[in-house]
Amino acid sequence: MASLSRREFLRLCAAACLAPGALAPAGCTQDAPSALFADSDITGSVFVGGGPRRLWKWSKEASHYRLLEGSVVVCDLCPHSCKLSPGDRGVCRSRVNHKGTLYTLTYGNPCSVHIDPIEKKPLFHFMPQTRAFSIAAAGCNLRCLNCQNWEISQVTPEEVSFRELLPCEVVHEACRAQCASIAYTYSEPVTFFEYMLDTARAARERGIANLWISNGYINRGALLELCGVLDAANVNLKAFDDEVYRRLNGGRLAPVKRTLVVLAMRGVHLEITTLVVPGYTDGEDMLRRMCGWILGNLGQDRPLHLLRFFPHYRLDRLPPTPVSTLERLRELAIEEGMRYVYLGNVPGHPGTNTYCHNCGRLLVERRGYLIPAFHIVEGRCRFCRSVIPGVWKG
Amino acid sequence: MKRGTERDVLLVVLATGISSVATQLYTIREFLSLFEGNEFVIALILCAWLLLGGIGTLLSQAASRHRDPLGLLARLTLLLAALPVLQILGVRLLRELLFLHGASVGLGKLVAFSLVCLAPYTLTVGFVLPLSLFAIRRQEASYPGVHVYITDNIGDVTGGALFAFVLVALLTPLQALCVADLVLMACGLRLSGRGRPRRAGVLLGMAVLGVNLAGLSAEKASLATGQGELVHYEETRYGRITVLRDQGQYTLFENGVPLYSSSNTFAAEEAIHFPLSQRADPAEVLLVSAGGGMLEELAKYAPSRVAYVRLDPAISRVELSLGLLGEIPGLEVINADGRAFLASTTHTYDTIILNLPDPDTFLLNRFYTAQFFTLARRRLREGGVLSFTVSGYENYLGATQRREVSCLYKTVRDVFPHVLMLPGRQISFLCSDAPLSPEIPELLAARGIKTAYIEGYFTQEVNAERRQYLADALDAHATPNRDLSPVMLRYMFAQWFAKHGTRPIPFLLAAAVLVIGYALHMGAGEYVLFTTGWTTMAGEILVIFVFQIFYGYVYLKIGLIVTVFLAGLLPGALLGQWLRARGRRVLLMSDGLIVILLGTSIAGLVLVGASLPQGCCIAYGGLLSVLCGLQFPVALSLRGGNNPAMSRVVAADLLGAACGTMVTSAIGIPLLGIIGATGGLIALKLSSIMVTGLCHGQPQPS
Repeated sequence: MASLSRREFLRLCAAACLAPGALAPAGCTQDAPSALFADSDITGSVFVGGGPRRLWKWSKEASHYRLLEGSVVVCDLCPHSCKLSPGDRGVCRSRVNHKGTLYTLTYGNPCSVHIDPIEKKPLFHFMPQTRAFSIAAAGCNLRCLNCQNWEISQVTPEEVSFRELLPCEVVHEACRAQCASIAYTYSEPVTFFEYMLDTARAARERGIANLWISNGYINRGALLELCGVLDAANVNLKAFDDEVYRRLNGGRLAPVKRTLVVLAMRGVHLEITTLVVPGYTDGEDMLRRMCGWILGNLGQDRPLHLLRFFPHYRLDRLPPTPVSTLERLRELAIEEGMRYVYLGNVPGHPGTNTYCHNCGRLLVERRGYLIPAFHIVEGRCRFCRSVIPGVWKG
Repeated sequence: MKRGTERDVLLVVLATGISSVATQLYTIREFLSLFEGNEFVIALILCAWLLLGGIGTLLSQAASRHRDPLGLLARLTLLLAALPVLQILGVRLLRELLFLHGASVGLGKLVAFSLVCLAPYTLTVGFVLPLSLFAIRRQEASYPGVHVYITDNIGDVTGGALFAFVLVALLTPLQALCVADLVLMACGLRLSGRGRPRRAGVLLGMAVLGVNLAGLSAEKASLATGQGELVHYEETRYGRITVLRDQGQYTLFENGVPLYSSSNTFAAEEAIHFPLSQRADPAEVLLVSAGGGMLEELAKYAPSRVAYVRLDPAISRVELSLGLLGEIPGLEVINADGRAFLASTTHTYDTIILNLPDPDTFLLNRFYTAQFFTLARRRLREGGVLSFTVSGYENYLGATQRREVSCLYKTVRDVFPHVLMLPGRQISFLCSDAPLSPEIPELLAARGIKTAYIEGYFTQEVNAERRQYLADALDAHATPNRDLSPVMLRYMFAQWFAKHGTRPIPFLLAAAVLVIGYALHMGAGEYVLFTTGWTTMAGEILVIFVFQIFYGYVYLKIGLIVTVFLAGLLPGALLGQWLRARGRRVLLMSDGLIVILLGTSIAGLVLVGASLPQGCCIAYGGLLSVLCGLQFPVALSLRGGNNPAMSRVVAADLLGAACGTMVTSAIGIPLLGIIGATGGLIALKLSSIMVTGLCHGQPQPS
C-alpha cells in the first residue's frame, strides 16, 4: 500500500469527520476527498446577464459560433463551448451574446502594448535576438491561480485602460519599431481571436512573423484557421494531469494536447513551456509521462522550457521552486530523449543555454536576454554540422 | 450550600474567562497563519467571534427556566474544556481540506469558514455566562448579575495577561490551550459533583482529557507543510515561524507566508544594487529586514558597517543559524521595530534599504508614510539613498495598483527632491537629495561588480519605454499617505478584494441591514451598551494603531494597552454598581464623558501628535475602559436585572463590540483616518445620549 503524505492524511481525516456518508463505501480512491469540495475545479462559468449595455465601438461579430433557438448562441472558439442567452458573457469575459449575435469585445483595444525580446516569450529557437511587438487585450478562458497577468486576464475589456489600435495600425507600429514579429501574448490571445487573426494577416503581408503565446485552450476549427497565419507558438502546457489542470487552471488537459499536435502537424514552429509549481507539477512521474507523450506525438526537437515558480496572485503561500528540482527535471527530460530542455527564471544558470544534441558543445550562450556566444551557422552546429531545429535567421 | 454553589459557579466563570481569552488569542493567530495577516481578516475573525458570542448569549434566554441549570452549566463547561483544541485542529484540518494548498482565500469563503469553525465554541461560551447567573439565581433569586460580569472580567484580564505576556512564547498553541482547558475541566468537574449524575460528569471529564491529550500529540502533524521537510517551527510573540527545506532550498515562512527563500537572485539584486550602485562609497548601510542572497550582494561593496534590523529576534536567530542569510563582515543585528529604531538612533547612513512586504497592514503602513520618509531622510547622510519596493506588475498596471504607486510617489516626492522608480520584478523606489541614475548596469560595470540578473535582463525589462509607461500612469493629484490618514491601506484592501474577485460592499450592506434591524429592537439601555461595546473595541484598535505609529511596535507595551482596556472595565463595573441607583443620569453623564474624552484625543493628536508621552495612550485607554465598564451595571439595573435582561445587555455589548471591530478596522481607519474614525465614535456616542435622553420617563420592558 502506498504511504500517505501528511496532506493526504489530513484530507482523509477531515473528509471522514465531515462527510462520512459521502465517501464511497468501497474502492474509494484518494482523489475522492478532493472531489467532494469546492476547490477541486475552478473552471469559470458563463456570466449570465453580464454583457455590457452597449457594445464597444469596434466590436465585431465573432467567428466560430452557432445560433440555436431563442437567440441562444454557442461559442465554438474554445473547449468551454459557452452557451449564451442574449445579454450573457462568456467565460473568457470578452465574447457576448448581443441580441442573438455573438460579438467579440476585444477588437482594436489592446490594454498592453510593449516591445520585448523574443527570448522573453520564451522562444529560444526562433529568430533569436529579434524584438517582438507584443499586444494583449483583456480576458482569458482559464483561471490560473498563479497568473502573472491577472490584472488583464481576469477582468472584462471595459475594466481596463487601453489603446485604440486597429490591425493595420499594430502592423504599422511594429514596422516603425523595427520589430521582426508581432506577439499575441500576456493575457490569452484566444480571447481576442478575430483581432489577432486580422492583425496576423496584415502582418504577413508586410513580412512580419506572427507569434502565438497561448495556453492552447482552443478548438480545432479555430486553430486550423489560425495556423494559416502563424509562424511560431509557445504553448503553456501547465501540467500533465487533468486534475491539476482543473484545480489550478480551470481547464482540461486533453484540448491542450490536441492543440500541440495540430500545431506540430501544420508546421508551426512550436516550443512548450511548463511552470514547475512545488507540490503540483514538480513530480518526476508527471514529467516522464509528459516527455513520453511529447516524444511520441511531437518529436524530440520541440524545445521545452521549465520555469521556476515564484509565489504570485492567489498561489502566494507556496515556496519558490528549488533550483535543484528544476535541474533534476531537466536532466530527467533529457534522459527521456528530449533534446532541448531549458530552465527559466533562473538567471545565470547554464540550463538557459543551447547545447548541440549531437556533440554536446555550447551553441548559444544566454545571459538573460543577451547572447554573448552564438555558434549556429545556417541552422547547423558550427562544430559537428548537425541540424539544429528552429528558425535561426534574425 | 448556597455559598458553595455560588463559589463553584463563579470559579467556572473565572476559568471560562481565562480560557476564552486564550482561545480567542490562539484562534486569531491560527487564522493569521493559515489565511491572511491583514486587519480586515483580524477584524473579521474578531467580529465573527463577538457576533456568535452575542447570539449565544441571546439564545441563553431559553435556558432561564431550565429545570437543572447547574447540571447544564457543568456539562457545557466540560464541553468548553474540549472545544478549543478541537477548534484549532479543525481550522487546520479544514483549511487543507476545503481550500487549495498554497492558495490564499477570498472574503466570501473566509466569512463562511470562520462562522462555521467558530460557531460551536463561541455560541457555547456566549451561552454559558448568563447561564451561570441563572444557576446561582436558582439558589438565590436576588443575586446581582453584575457579579458574574465582574468575575468574567477578572478571568479575561488574567487570561489575557497570562497568555499574551507569559505563555505565548513558552508554549505551543495546543499546549497553552490544554493548560487553560484542564483548569476549566477541573472547575467543571467540581461543579458536576454538585449535580446528578456524577458518573456522567466523570466520563465527560475523561473524554475532555482524552481530547486534549490527543490534540497535543497531533499538534505537529497538523501543521500541514506541503512540500519539503519542516526543519524549524517556533511560536513567538509576533507569530508563527516555520522553515521548510526542499531539495536544499530553505524557505522561511512567517505566519504561513513565504518571507523569502535561500535563493532569489531577482529580489536580492534589485534590493541591493539599485540603491547601492548610486553612490561611490556606501560605507554604512541600514537594512530593515532582508531576504536570501542580499547580504552576499551587499558584500560586493565591502561596507564597513551593515546594521540589520529585524523585529522578531527568533527570525534573525534562525536565519543566521540555518545560513539563510550569509554573515558578512561588519554585520550588526538589531532586534527592534525598524521605525522605532530610526527614531531613537542618532546615527546616519549612506543607504537605508527597506525590504518589507507591501503596506497591507496597519503595522507595515507606518513605513510608507510621509512622516516615516521624513524621519528616514534625517537619518541619511548627504547624497544618501533610501530605497523600498512594492509589488511589481508584469505588463499592465491595474487601476488599484496605479493608485497605490501614485500615492507612494506623491508621498515620497514631497519629502525627497529626487525620486527614481524602476519597474523591475518589483517596483523599486530610490529616493535621495542628490540626482539618481537609472543606468544601473553601467554603474555596476564601472565598479566592476558582476551580477546575474541585472546584467542580462535589466536593459530589456527596465528599459526607457517601461519607465515611461510607469511615469505616465501616475496620478498627479494623488493623496499622500500619512500616519493618521493611511490611504494606502484603502488601496491595499481594494487590491486584496480585486485579487480574489470579491467585493466587500454586499457583505457590509448585509451586515448593516442586520445591525440596523437589531438596533431598532433594542431598548435605550441596550443601545447605550451596544454603542459602548462598539466604542470600547474601536477605541482599543485606535489606541494600538496610534501607539504603533508614534512609538513603534513594542510587543509588551501593546500587550499592556490590551490589558489596560480589559482591566479598566473592572473598576468601571464596580463604580457603576455603586452608582446604579442614579440610573439614566449616570448613563448620560458617562456618555458625555466618553464624548469629551474622544474629543480630547482628537485635540491631542492634532495639537501634540508624536510628542504625546507614551503614558497618555495607556491612561487614555484606561479611562475610556473605566467609563465603558461603568455603564454595564447601570444599564442592567435599568433593564430590571432579571435573567432575560442579563442576556440582552450582554448580547448588546458583544454585538456592539463586533461592529466596532469591523467598522473601525475595515472602514473607519482606511477611509476616514484616525481622526475621522474617532469623530465617528463621537457621533455614535452622541446618538446614544440622544436615545437615552428621548427615552426619559418611558418604562423599560422587563
